[in-house]
Amino acid sequence: MSADPSPSNPWIHGPAPVLSRRHFLSNTAGGLGGVALAWLLHRDQARAGTGGEPGVLQRSARAPHFAPKAKRVVQVFCCGGVSHIDSFDYKPALERLDGKTLEGKGENLGFFGQPGRVMKSPYEFRQHGQSGAWVSSLLPHLAGCVDDLCFIHSMFAKSNNHTPATFQMNSGFTLNGFPCMGAWLSYGLGTENENLPAFVVLPDPRGLIAGGSINWTSGFLPANHQGVPFRTQGREPIADLNTPESVPAAARSADLHFLDTMNREFAEAHPGDSAFAARLRSYELAARMQVSIPEATNLDAESEATRRLYGVDKEANKGFARNCLMARRLLERGVRFVQIFNGGAFGSPRINWDGHENLKENHDTQAATMDQPVAALVQDLKQRGMLEDTLFVWSTEFGRGPATQGIGSTGRDHHPTAFTCFLAGAGIRKGFRYGSSDEVGYFVAENQVTIPDFHATILHLLGIDHEKLTFYHNGINRRLTDVHGEVLHGILT
Amino acid sequence: MRVRFPMKHIAWMLGLLVALKAAAPAATGVEGGSLNPSSSADHWAFQPVRYPQVPDQAGGRSGSQSAGASVNHSPIDAFVLQRLTEKGLTLAPEADRATLLRRLSFDLTGLPPTPEEVASFVRDPSPAAYERWVERLLASPAYGERWGRHWLDVVRYTESQGFEYDRLRDNAWHYRDYVIRSFNEDKPYDLFIREQIAGDVLEPITRDGIIGASLLVCGPYDEAGNNQANMTQRAITREEEMEDLVSVVGQTFLGLTLNCARCHSHKFDPISLADYYRIKAVFDGVKHGERPLATPAESKAREDRLAEWQRMSGEAKGVVDRLEHEGRFRAAARRQPQAAVVPGPAPYRSWNFGKSDTTPMGGRLHGGAQATDMGLRLAGSGAFFESDPLDQEIREKTLEAWVDLQGLDQRGGAAISIESTDGSVFDAVVFGEREPRRWTAGSNGFERTRDLGADAEDSGAGTWIHVAAVYRADHSIAVFRNGAPYGRPYTPDGRLRTFPAGKSRILLGKRHTGGGNPYLTGAIRHAALYDRALSAEEVAASFRGGDLRVPLEEALAELSASQRAEREAALERARRAREGLAAEEPVPVSYAGTRFQPAPTRQLRRGDVRTPGDVVTPAALPAIQGLAFEFGLGPEAPEAQRRLRFAEWLTDPRNPLPARVMMNRLWQFHFGQGLVATPNDFGRSGSRPTHPELLDWLASAFVNSGWSIKSMHRWIVLSATYRQASNPPGAGPDTAATASAFAKAMAMDAENTLWWRFPPRRLEAEAVRDAVLAVSGQLNRTAGGPSFRPFEILRFPANAYQPVDKVGAEFDRRSVYRMNVNSGKEPLLDAFDCPDPAVKTPRRGVTTTPLQALSLMNHPFVQRHAALLAERALDEASGEIPEAINVAYRRALGRPPNVKEAAQALAVARERGLVPVCWALLNTTEFVYVR
Repeated sequence: MSADPSPSNPWIHGPAPVLSRRHFLSNTAGGLGGVALAWLLHRDQARAGTGGEPGVLQRSARAPHFAPKAKRVVQVFCCGGVSHIDSFDYKPALERLDGKTLEGKGENLGFFGQPGRVMKSPYEFRQHGQSGAWVSSLLPHLAGCVDDLCFIHSMFAKSNNHTPATFQMNSGFTLNGFPCMGAWLSYGLGTENENLPAFVVLPDPRGLIAGGSINWTSGFLPANHQGVPFRTQGREPIADLNTPESVPAAARSADLHFLDTMNREFAEAHPGDSAFAARLRSYELAARMQVSIPEATNLDAESEATRRLYGVDKEANKGFARNCLMARRLLERGVRFVQIFNGGAFGSPRINWDGHENLKENHDTQAATMDQPVAALVQDLKQRGMLEDTLFVWSTEFGRGPATQGIGSTGRDHHPTAFTCFLAGAGIRKGFRYGSSDEVGYFVAENQVTIPDFHATILHLLGIDHEKLTFYHNGINRRLTDVHGEVLHGILT
Repeated sequence: MRVRFPMKHIAWMLGLLVALKAAAPAATGVEGGSLNPSSSADHWAFQPVRYPQVPDQAGGRSGSQSAGASVNHSPIDAFVLQRLTEKGLTLAPEADRATLLRRLSFDLTGLPPTPEEVASFVRDPSPAAYERWVERLLASPAYGERWGRHWLDVVRYTESQGFEYDRLRDNAWHYRDYVIRSFNEDKPYDLFIREQIAGDVLEPITRDGIIGASLLVCGPYDEAGNNQANMTQRAITREEEMEDLVSVVGQTFLGLTLNCARCHSHKFDPISLADYYRIKAVFDGVKHGERPLATPAESKAREDRLAEWQRMSGEAKGVVDRLEHEGRFRAAARRQPQAAVVPGPAPYRSWNFGKSDTTPMGGRLHGGAQATDMGLRLAGSGAFFESDPLDQEIREKTLEAWVDLQGLDQRGGAAISIESTDGSVFDAVVFGEREPRRWTAGSNGFERTRDLGADAEDSGAGTWIHVAAVYRADHSIAVFRNGAPYGRPYTPDGRLRTFPAGKSRILLGKRHTGGGNPYLTGAIRHAALYDRALSAEEVAASFRGGDLRVPLEEALAELSASQRAEREAALERARRAREGLAAEEPVPVSYAGTRFQPAPTRQLRRGDVRTPGDVVTPAALPAIQGLAFEFGLGPEAPEAQRRLRFAEWLTDPRNPLPARVMMNRLWQFHFGQGLVATPNDFGRSGSRPTHPELLDWLASAFVNSGWSIKSMHRWIVLSATYRQASNPPGAGPDTAATASAFAKAMAMDAENTLWWRFPPRRLEAEAVRDAVLAVSGQLNRTAGGPSFRPFEILRFPANAYQPVDKVGAEFDRRSVYRMNVNSGKEPLLDAFDCPDPAVKTPRRGVTTTPLQALSLMNHPFVQRHAALLAERALDEASGEIPEAINVAYRRALGRPPNVKEAAQALAVARERGLVPVCWALLNTTEFVYVR
């Protein structure tokens, strides 16, 4: 066995032909990940010095680059585009300009290109909490959490088109096929619990987001880093988890023993090939997942008070509320990245925040599913002390424009050049507002935050230098942040 | 030992080598010339391919001596051995026969050998037996399916659009079949390149050429982004699309990441911002979309045939109409001599519906429309009649129909319409479109329509109404109901339109083709088109004449015998024309992209459409020395010329990259790792070749073989390097020696970069699935055509794909025929690293995960085929359990169980049946790995 790490990257080159410590660990995928793996790899690489291909080099230097504030992340993604000026970004000027033509903003940024008139928010804004953050009457539950939240009112997206903008929020790129943030974190940090996937996706029970699995793909990263979509209804939380009903448990156990014997003998007869040993291990982990996943997703174990907090039994939001509660259970058990989608694909009737026709009707419906469960998740994480080392992210692909979509309409079109997201938890300033948009929420007025900046900051909180977490693919050392991204030190504690 | 080559027993190889040596100087034409000593010249990949000196290798390895020293080494082995010898290493002995055949079979066809094939190969130890197998597998259709799949990975082939809508591409599969066909035919690689760059304009134009150029558009397409209102964002979408296109061309054929230079000159390679935009200019006229799959000659021939059938049909119908009208008029006059019947005008064309009516229909029924005794029944949504194209130009005209409305509140259906065949221009007699219960002269965009302010229609169902619209040369329009003026004649803003011959037709029941159309509900007994504007009197006469309702028999009785014969002959011509038309098959379409003449291409500062710079001309890459990179084409050069010239530049034998890049791919797919570890990046940031001379030897041999990929497979798989064992043998006279050689090599070159053994490889996702189907006996070898669709589509209206394990022969086809969509992943294939189709994947990842184990354990597909394998084994063993176990092992693993395994499996089978044994076999490491 070579003490010297190989000059090639096992992630690029497929199965390592030979057992080395790093290969064994790496090929075991989500298995032996976590802090121990990071430490082991770090130690091995440090001992070996530098060398080899860029991918390896970066990988060795990656984790932890510095002490992380957050160990795990939960991201709520509201698809369709939540109107910033009707939720968190209060614009009194809209009342003055209501019904007037919007002047001096250049080319119409909307997707449908039908200029309308300025429309004041149909919601009433009030200041909340000690921090005095403005929140509209749309979101009464979240209004109660503002002292734990950090709003960014100066978000800037590259595209005014749902799917590219959604892809950018998830993967940093507006195109199909780039690894999503959860996949990068899985690749960079592994998992704290080898019996659960590192990156779990909880789709809205009303329907999948447009693009489906593209939104949690590992892209060109190894497939073990991709998001695992959990089904929140039905027999199996994930595909192929359960032993078929036709096979009795005892029989399956004996079958697995027989299989293990075969695979073990094969691996022993081929001592040079670490991948064969990794396969043995993968069956052990699979068996453990069969126990740990049903346990993690069983909400019956939650108290009545907790279920009420999330609104699990409320008709309007029960599916999404279950996902929020499940997210907390998964985070507790060491899942690195949980992504909760609020809203599904585009169409009619609308099941997302894409309020083109009638903003109020649309946002009222969507807020009824989202507000209470998300507020509950923040509170629940807080009361359990989990906000200390968990990063909470609330995001959407873009905001909505201050003018109506067409004259006489009550809807708003897509708006990428200023919108709001918020963060909470590990390393994030509480009750804080960062950046601002202009008086009608059209352009960023100060401290523009691009999606790469947003991502760089999230990676930073996890102890990762976003410029150093790279993966070589077709000639480029790819990053989540491409060639951009500045950490937003202003929002950090 | 002195290495001998070529293998004397293979005539073709000898011939090739002779040809190669003779041709060697030509292949190195640039050598010795004045290379530009700029930065590009010193990078290895930009150097001309040099035919290298094949090492005159002394054996000097104990292993080969003790292994019998009987292997004939090829030039490939000479290069490999040279490096091994430097390190004091050797090649491993040849793998055992069963292992070797399994390896070769998976490698060349992606399928396992059958037990019979293994047995016959094991029985015949002659070298010729192996060579025969190589030929047999290369000739198998499965070869193209296997290597075509590799190629489809590289070119990011997808069968859905990706992005928001992710709609299916029903007609993308032509390209998949083209790729498979090209590999199977051993199409010269230079032609394969030219077709994929410019096949649609490469004379002589062939179907394969048209399909081949699908490479340019077989990746994702942002339909929403391309159609949005914001022009800047739309232009950005297009630039992203072009980056995808330029990058797939650069990475696939040149192994260069041209796309890096979109925003800034390449950081590592001699590719400037201007170079990127010059190459982009080559492809700027390429758009996504479907195109008819016909060569210009085929299209012309088909159009000519169609025109002739239609001319014949129209002529015959004209004769029939004229004679029947004459008969009807005479019969009417005979019945009512006192009524002073004004002779009704003769229409240019008319359509009569009724069971007893033998008049040719002159068109087709759609959407459940029926010709009955009571006329043409139109039951509503989707039902209409469409006439054959009109064979003469129509300017001034009269439209006329007898209608029985079923319900007066219906809106917007047309009794009769004349339209251009694309539906963009039409004139129609429309009911209740803008004004409820009223008739209007409808038209495209209401250009010639005016509300008439006439009385509301009040005739109930069962009453026949006569409606007519007259379009005069002075652009005025008059509408009539039951022979009387309906509203006032008017002259609209829109001018009278011309309906060209052969490109216009009549519709009964709907206004025009395309758009969300309402349909007329009711019946139409008779409709007519006059090629002139009738006077008010003529319309009235037609109304009265029509009301006479003379039965056809009575009308025919008025004709002379010769007239009746003339009519019969015309009916016969019409029937023949109809049959001729019906026999014409529709032209297939393929997702091969469309073309347009683009505006001059501009450089974009930082790749941003908002900061355009200088105009550039289409050109290739100057970094390739010794080849003119400029084509002498201006910024407005014809679109086709740009791609043709680029294809010529790519396939010029002096261009060193395409041959090197392809040979590296070939090596990689045989050995799991290329000689260059970064197959899509031969630039400075990519890996350097481990064996540069070997790579150049392969590239030279490739070009000199006439770019024959199969020839190069032969060189590789017949080499001793390929035939090595992957692990030390478990027993035998040389065990100790080889085991010690293995241990030594492992210590020196753990990564096997020197190729001292054959590297074991995990099967790819598709190969795992295909192997399961093959061993269970269910594999359906139907090749080509539309893909099978193992998913449900959730439409909302964007498509989302829910993978479903569908059962049936259709779904037991090879995985290369699976519809590969973007937004839905099949858990089993996914777990085995099947990539996103949108990602250019020159080399797949290989992971081993608990989810993969779960999938193989529990996926219903595996469950089902384990049971089928058990059934098959029992059947073949005539119900004898021990023999059935033997069969199952040999099918799944290509070998019988050893004594211990047989005993264990028997114990399992006795207790729980054969299915668990088969399930376990499909789950073994040995099953999913090739050694």
